Amino acid sequence: MALLETQDLTHIFPDGTVAIQNINLKFNEGEFVVIAGANGSGKTVFARHLNGLLKPTKGKVLIDGEPITKNIVETRKKVGLVFQDPDSQIVGQTVAEDVAFGPENLNLPVDQVEAVVKESLEAVGLSRLSTRSPHTLSGGEKRRLAIAGILAMRPKIIILDEPFTGLDYPGVVQVLKQIIQLHKTGHTILLITHELEKILAHADRLVILHKGKLVEDGKPEDVIYRSENYGVRMPLRDGEKVAALTWLK
Amino acid sequence: MSQNQSSNLTDMPTNTTRSSLNLRMTVYVSLFTALIIIGGYISVPLPFGPVPIVLADLFVMVTGLFLGFKWGLTSVALYLSLGALGLPVFASGTSGLAVLFGPTGGYLFGYLLLVASVGFIASKGKQSIIRNLIALIIGNMLLYAIGVPWLKTVMNFGWAGALAAGLTPFLPGTVIKITVAVALSRVLLPRFKQTLLSASVK
Amino acid sequence: MTFFHYIHRDTVLHRMDGRFKLLCMLLLSLSASFASQLQHYLVLLFVVTLALLIAKLPFKALLKDLKFFGILILIVFVVNAFNIPGDPIPNFPITSISLQGVITGLRFAARLTIIIIVCAVLTGTTPLMTLRNVIEWYLRPLPFVPEVRIATMINLTFMLIPLIFDNFAEMMKAQKARCVELRKNPIKRINFIVFPLLNQTLRRVDEIAYAMEARCYSEVRTRAVFKSNKIDWLLLAICLSVFLFVIL
Ligand SMILES: Nc1ncnc2c1ncn2[C@@H]1O[C@H](COP(=O)(O)OP(=O)(O)OP(=O)(O)O)[C@@H](O)[C@H]1O
Ligand SMILES: [Mg+2]
Repeated sequence: MALLETQDLTHIFPDGTVAIQNINLKFNEGEFVVIAGANGSGKTVFARHLNGLLKPTKGKVLIDGEPITKNIVETRKKVGLVFQDPDSQIVGQTVAEDVAFGPENLNLPVDQVEAVVKESLEAVGLSRLSTRSPHTLSGGEKRRLAIAGILAMRPKIIILDEPFTGLDYPGVVQVLKQIIQLHKTGHTILLITHELEKILAHADRLVILHKGKLVEDGKPEDVIYRSENYGVRMPLRDGEKVAALTWLK
Repeated sequence: MSQNQSSNLTDMPTNTTRSSLNLRMTVYVSLFTALIIIGGYISVPLPFGPVPIVLADLFVMVTGLFLGFKWGLTSVALYLSLGALGLPVFASGTSGLAVLFGPTGGYLFGYLLLVASVGFIASKGKQSIIRNLIALIIGNMLLYAIGVPWLKTVMNFGWAGALAAGLTPFLPGTVIKITVAVALSRVLLPRFKQTLLSASVK
Repeated sequence: MTFFHYIHRDTVLHRMDGRFKLLCMLLLSLSASFASQLQHYLVLLFVVTLALLIAKLPFKALLKDLKFFGILILIVFVVNAFNIPGDPIPNFPITSISLQGVITGLRFAARLTIIIIVCAVLTGTTPLMTLRNVIEWYLRPLPFVPEVRIATMINLTFMLIPLIFDNFAEMMKAQKARCVELRKNPIKRINFIVFPLLNQTLRRVDEIAYAMEARCYSEVRTRAVFKSNKIDWLLLAICLSVFLFVIL
């Protein structure tokens, strides 16, 4: 049984925009999936259905074979979503307080909150910044803080919505390392991006959305040659292999 | 979803999740409080008259139009309480009980009346520009109806002095701000209500 | 711009339990409002100046506050001195100033100064996070008051201010580059500021609400714990006795 599954997922906004249409996808435990697509292809809307932030107009999302709406809090713990804009995800006055936000929402006892905050900050290497104001962090640090905030919920699946936008080279490398580390520690990763050259070498699978529809789903080395049909840049030069598509040395 | 929904925010369709709507309103209240605070720091020069205008009261008006009576009042009450606690939120970074009960304190308490009356009148029945305009005019009259006598009492002014210090210089600015508030509500308010509705209905 | 007057130091007042500190500051502010005799003012001024010194707050920061209030205090003083009827001051050339007026003016000035210092000490020694938790704690026993929601609102407000400000600064730069100064119509000018500001922040705030929901936001949540010790009680006792001295 797939860990996470969408059936016929469709979302039509009140103004009539069809954001996604009949998407059927299955994600298995431990997979590293890159979801690509041009601007406005419905990536963000799709991601927001996976933890029930948006309700489908038609279709459903299943986690471990059960509809996600059955226990929405449990779903949101299991499916961590890192937002496109870290500024809108960070709500704490200090780094540590922000990471504590999730566990505090779960009403955990204070000592457990502290423990999980410490652990999450260590996992992303931000322990020494724990008393800083998030507003003063660099782009890469902010993104890692957003990840720590999700880790504190101990998710099984982590969805990252365009984690590289606005980052400089060191920032991308920081975040990239972090994501690979998360995958190694057993998390299922769904990564939304259109910058395939930064990450694709590490992925097991490439999914492409186009105008709200699922158009490609397969091994990166098979799918990538068709990506330019859907407005996603094909980053391979002559003779290069998918394994070259990473910003890690 | 019907387009002619009532503008009352608490009057949502039945499949609204209560907690999600509350969260949304919590966030919006915070936003408008932040905007009122920032409005106190933004001053715009007028081509006539020596007094530049600050935008705090403009944002109070907008708060009333956008959030309605209950949440709008919450937003302004939060603003005043933060100031009373000593956080530098009043015009140009001042704070504390000293300001709240000082000469200009009447205007600050007047914000409560302003937002309450704008929110109350504007969200009764169907949205219209005329209704919003009337709400804003009445709201501002109430604001000065508290602010000026307060100033007169605290400063031991006569009526002529109080009016010259506390009303006349601000009237052109107030007229401008009312105009802007109406223009804003025409463009942004329908979209705002739409988002709120689609977000809470899902 | 410094929105947070909090200045990190390691002093008794910084370490003090926030609940006690807020209560102490409240008592001192109230005392200042009730004070009527000279010795009341002297004691209060002594206590708050001592607090200021103990907190090791830079006087520079305070001066900025006082600059604004200085003018206010002066105006009130002058207006009072001239307007309140009473006996002229002996051996003083300006006869329209009354003794009673001067005294009223001085009183007002002293009261204001005390309250300003109290505020400065409170916000200078307490991080916003603590202040918010303290407010939440005091609101807990009140019925019909959603204390967690209020705490969240305080938090979000102060998280949004720098974001909005950055947004605003960017916008103004972009508009300056396009010569917005040449526009004389104030309605247009204000519209150019307020429209994009509101438009962008409304969108952003929508995202924030989603992000909070994604992290299971709930108003039933872990509460802050406070620890008090003997020093907290001692300081409270001092403030309480000052208060009693003033009102009795
Ligand atoms: N609240 C909304 N109301 C109406 N239409 C919307 C709303 N949110 C998104 N859309 C539309 O849905 C479509 C998909 O948007 P989505 O944000 O998922 O795109 P995306 O693939 O994430 O793009 P990007 O790369 O720009 O982030 C777009 O056409 C967008 O305009
Ligand atoms: Mg997107």
